[in-house]
Amino acid sequence: MTKKPKPNFLEVLRILRKYQVEFIVVGGVCAVLHGAPISTFDLDLVHSRAPNNIDRLMVALKTLDAHYRGRGTRKMRPGVSHLSSPGHQLLMTKAGPLDLLGVIGKTSGYNELLEHTIQLEVGRGLPIRLLDLETLIKVKEETARDRDKAILPILRRTLEEKSKT
Amino acid sequence: MRTNESPKARELEDPLIEQQPTHSQDGVDLTLIRWMLSLTAAERLQMLQENVWSILELRGDEKTEA
Repeated sequence: MTKKPKPNFLEVLRILRKYQVEFIVVGGVCAVLHGAPISTFDLDLVHSRAPNNIDRLMVALKTLDAHYRGRGTRKMRPGVSHLSSPGHQLLMTKAGPLDLLGVIGKTSGYNELLEHTIQLEVGRGLPIRLLDLETLIKVKEETARDRDKAILPILRRTLEEKSKT
Repeated sequence: MRTNESPKARELEDPLIEQQPTHSQDGVDLTLIRWMLSLTAAERLQMLQENVWSILELRGDEKTEA
């Protein structure tokens, strides 16, 4: 029996930044950073699949002790081929669940999403890049999963309220 | 004393009394959104983090796994 990892979004972001991994925060944490009053247990990121970024990501994931979730007691770790694919790698780390997404929505990867991002600082000296709220809404509309549909009204009203401030 | 003033007159005088709706037509609590927007990004992340820890603690999930 091992102690369950306590989710720590800031810690994961710090380690990824430390190794200069290029990524975009999407999903629930992105929504919260934009001001949406929702909750989430995992950190969703779209990472650059450029070979040198994958190399840096592999080092960061080792530091985070990242392995696939729900694969029993044996720790299966993502390899270069997994991280280079457009697929979704659902991982557990020493700082909680981390989902690395090759593409989101219809077929949007890091390079396509980059122009739809903003940068902000979430901790002392910790700038991160996240999807802008308009694009997050669009991606969730494209995905159209039940859980995405459920939070869409909150995201749309958050966008409206933001535009008033 | 302001007892003879109409509510509308008080609202015009007092900027703290706002006539903003508390919910949208699709049922979203706008007061929570306004409160979140009053926080910095770092504060929002901190709040999410603390919420997650509280929920896990309430569920007794933070103990051990096989």
